[in-house]
Amino acid sequence: MAEPGELTPQDFLPLPLPVFHMLLALSEGERHGYGLKREILRRTDGKLNLGSGALYGSISRMMEQGLIEESDERPDFHLDDERRRYYRITALGRRVVQAEAVRLQQLVRLAENTLGLPELA
Amino acid sequence: MVDLSRVYRVFLRLYPARFREEFEAPLVRQFADEYREAFTRTSRIAFLLRALADLAMTLPAEIARELRQDLRYAARVYRRRALVTGLALTALALAIGATTGVFSVVNALLVRSLPFRQPERIVQVQTPPVPPLAGRSQFYGWRDSSPYTADTAAYYPTEMNLGLAGQSVRLSIAETSANFFTLLGSEPVFGRGFTAGEDIAGHDGVAVIAHSVWQQYFGEDPRALGATIHLNGAPLTVIGVAPPALDFPGKTAVWTPTIFNYQRLPKQGVFFGDTIARLKPGVSLTQARAMFEAQARRLNPDSFTRQGSPYPSLIPLQERLAGTVRQASFVLLGVVAFVLLVACANVAHLLLSRVAERRRELMIRGALGASRARLVQQLITESTLLTLASGAAGLGIAHWAARLAAMAQPAKLASQGYTILDSRVLVFTVGVALLTGIVFGVLPALLIGRLQPAMDPLRSQSGSHGSGASRMRAALVVLQAAFTLVLLAGSIIMSRSFLHLLRTDLGYRTANVVTLNVSLAGTRWEADHTMRQYYKDALQRLRSIPGVDSAAAIQFMPLIEQFGMGSNFKLDSGHQSSLASTIAVTPDYFRTMRTGLIEGREFTAADQATSERVVIVNEEFARRVGAGFHLVGRKISSEWPPNAKAVTIVGVVRTAKAHGPSAADFPQIFFPTEQLVPGFVTFVARVRGDVEPYLSICRDVVQQVDRQVPVYDVKTLDQRLSDNLARPRFYTTAVLFFGGLALLLALLGIYGVASYSIAQRTHEIGVRIAVGASAPGVRLMLLRQSLLPMLFGLAAGIVAAIALGKYLQHLIDSAQPIDAQTCAAAAALLAAFAAVAVWGATRRVTRVDPMSALRAE
Repeated sequence: MAEPGELTPQDFLPLPLPVFHMLLALSEGERHGYGLKREILRRTDGKLNLGSGALYGSISRMMEQGLIEESDERPDFHLDDERRRYYRITALGRRVVQAEAVRLQQLVRLAENTLGLPELA
Repeated sequence: MVDLSRVYRVFLRLYPARFREEFEAPLVRQFADEYREAFTRTSRIAFLLRALADLAMTLPAEIARELRQDLRYAARVYRRRALVTGLALTALALAIGATTGVFSVVNALLVRSLPFRQPERIVQVQTPPVPPLAGRSQFYGWRDSSPYTADTAAYYPTEMNLGLAGQSVRLSIAETSANFFTLLGSEPVFGRGFTAGEDIAGHDGVAVIAHSVWQQYFGEDPRALGATIHLNGAPLTVIGVAPPALDFPGKTAVWTPTIFNYQRLPKQGVFFGDTIARLKPGVSLTQARAMFEAQARRLNPDSFTRQGSPYPSLIPLQERLAGTVRQASFVLLGVVAFVLLVACANVAHLLLSRVAERRRELMIRGALGASRARLVQQLITESTLLTLASGAAGLGIAHWAARLAAMAQPAKLASQGYTILDSRVLVFTVGVALLTGIVFGVLPALLIGRLQPAMDPLRSQSGSHGSGASRMRAALVVLQAAFTLVLLAGSIIMSRSFLHLLRTDLGYRTANVVTLNVSLAGTRWEADHTMRQYYKDALQRLRSIPGVDSAAAIQFMPLIEQFGMGSNFKLDSGHQSSLASTIAVTPDYFRTMRTGLIEGREFTAADQATSERVVIVNEEFARRVGAGFHLVGRKISSEWPPNAKAVTIVGVVRTAKAHGPSAADFPQIFFPTEQLVPGFVTFVARVRGDVEPYLSICRDVVQQVDRQVPVYDVKTLDQRLSDNLARPRFYTTAVLFFGGLALLLALLGIYGVASYSIAQRTHEIGVRIAVGASAPGVRLMLLRQSLLPMLFGLAAGIVAAIALGKYLQHLIDSAQPIDAQTCAAAAALLAAFAAVAVWGATRRVTRVDPMSALRAE
């Protein structure tokens, strides 16, 4: 297990895109794995479709790194009544996703200043 | 749908244990959810394909991740127990290394292909009904009438003086039939091979030289083709250069198509010819053998019953070339496999105690839902890490072992070099390492799992006594004791046989003797009177070297492998001897060799060509002829040639072991060189003080007689004896070493098990002492309990040793089978050592404080 205390948010950057989306989605509230996948699918207009192995592989790694943690196991009334394991973002995870957003923002600014990007529609 | 989920679940088994344990349920559920949500046929297929792709993409990453974690953990565990781990690693490295080393010999001799076309189709014809000696047309006539062969060729390996570019050297030569290279499918790389009629007298003035000869003596000059070389003085034209890999039949430097023309190349000594054949396409070896034997029975029925020549048969060339090394290597492979098993048992001990240490951790995890798969995965990683590391270290040992083997028993052909740098050898090593890791890492874990399915926390307090683990341990002790006993008994037999060889009285003293060879066939000295002159001159020069006590010459020198000559002899009393070898020697030979004279005299300068014909016989001859030992003055005559004159016996000498200490005594009759002039001799010179400096002095002196006569094979007699004993010494050392290693490992194992079980039973021991048992009494009880499983092992080992003992004969010819007495000695040795080890382990009983044990209650 990595000791999260020794790492600063900067050490995690740049985040892989799926991880960024997962952290972003979790920062709005707890979700189970499948919920997470569906949320990301919705947010990216179906462009980022995480396979189950990739999804849980990332979840496992993020838990190891201390970015997220399990909250509890409870049924999801929207899907069915089966019990599912929910995940929530940790304080470290929140700082990391923020740091990544800042990094991306700086990157976009740099591009704007250099290229003069057209206004987004 | 249900079925698809089940299929998916099977695929999920490919994920590493921790990941599966954690996420199997959500993965399966999500699979079901997504499948349900895909409504159309196309979207379902797309989903299934995506799921497969997802598996393929994520599996390697997850496996690598958990492997890394497991490895880190294993390394930490091993570092914590550095000593125990180091011992296990060393033992395994030795065992895997030795196994690999022996396998590299087997691989080189029996697995790696010979450098010929379809080498597996080439056979050696043993005792052919029509040997090459029968003549060219008979030989080819037989070949053409044989329905089982595509082609048959003859060859005769020998040594000759090769004269080229003003030099004269002694090299290995093969006289062959013209189709030799064609049959092998290995034509010269430069120039040409022999054409069909070139083995007919008058057409056979040609030679093919080895690639190494071309390099060394011609500097790879293309003008070598057409150059003239001399073999024993006979001029031949070089027509081709053999491929670099070709040196069949053995270190051959020159091939000539002269086998059917005995007179073509001057030679001396005994002429034989060997026969090889290529099986006809579609004919199996078994079929060919049957046809050959039927043919041999028809053409030469005597050959099946004749003494002294092998049974007519077809033998795969590779098997024939491997010769006795084949069986010896298999026996040695068995020996090292036993050592490997003993070493593996130790690794299993180590892992078992790891499992036991982690019992509580595992039980807690088990309570939290952790699977046994996790433990097994971790154990596999731990044990294969250990065995792979040992395998890597073992390669160094294997390299060294292969070099030792090459020194003791070199392969016949250059292409059969023993090397570990061969893909098969490396695959073998990795395979052995992985297999031992998995078998001895997983087996204990699985067995424990089966024996205590509940991992009952209540039982954990009672220690592992009587549990599955301890039964497993006992089984390992039995295994170790059994294998070790076999190896120990083998070591005893081997040492005894080898010591016997060392103590054997050779009938001559090997210390302080220089030996050197010359051959006068084809030189300007070839006539009888000039050969006498050469020998006289050379001996005079040798004797005049300060420090040389005496010098002499002999035709067939002891400890040099060569074909001798022999005949049956009849004593004047009518007593008949069996075959006796005839050997020419100069005066002073027996004095120089320190061979005792039993009766009569040595030859002297007075025994001239024209004086009375005299012989000296050895003790073995006197014994076999059965007419008492007072033979001086008696006359004997040989049966062949029929009208040979009778000769007078002037002396009887002690029997000399001509072929080394393991050879049987053989009757010998010595003639003076003046009366029976040999074409080649070995000079022997006994010197004072350090013998080494005399090697070059003696060589130079003899070389001065004639620069064109090569003086070769200059060695001390001690060196020849050492060469003769190289093979038994190597095998004895090997078996002894492995026996000792197995003993050490077994003791470590037994000690480890005993001290572990005592540590587990500290509480029980404390209670026993508290209620009045004495410490020595408890120690005796523990000793008894620890040695009991070993006794079963010893019993099993004795049975195995007696069954397997006869195979040691492949290592030392004179080795006796393992008998009950030897087994008893080995068992007593092992039991005594084990008792000492266990007694040492029970020392901690005296430190057990009964009060603290009771307080813990």
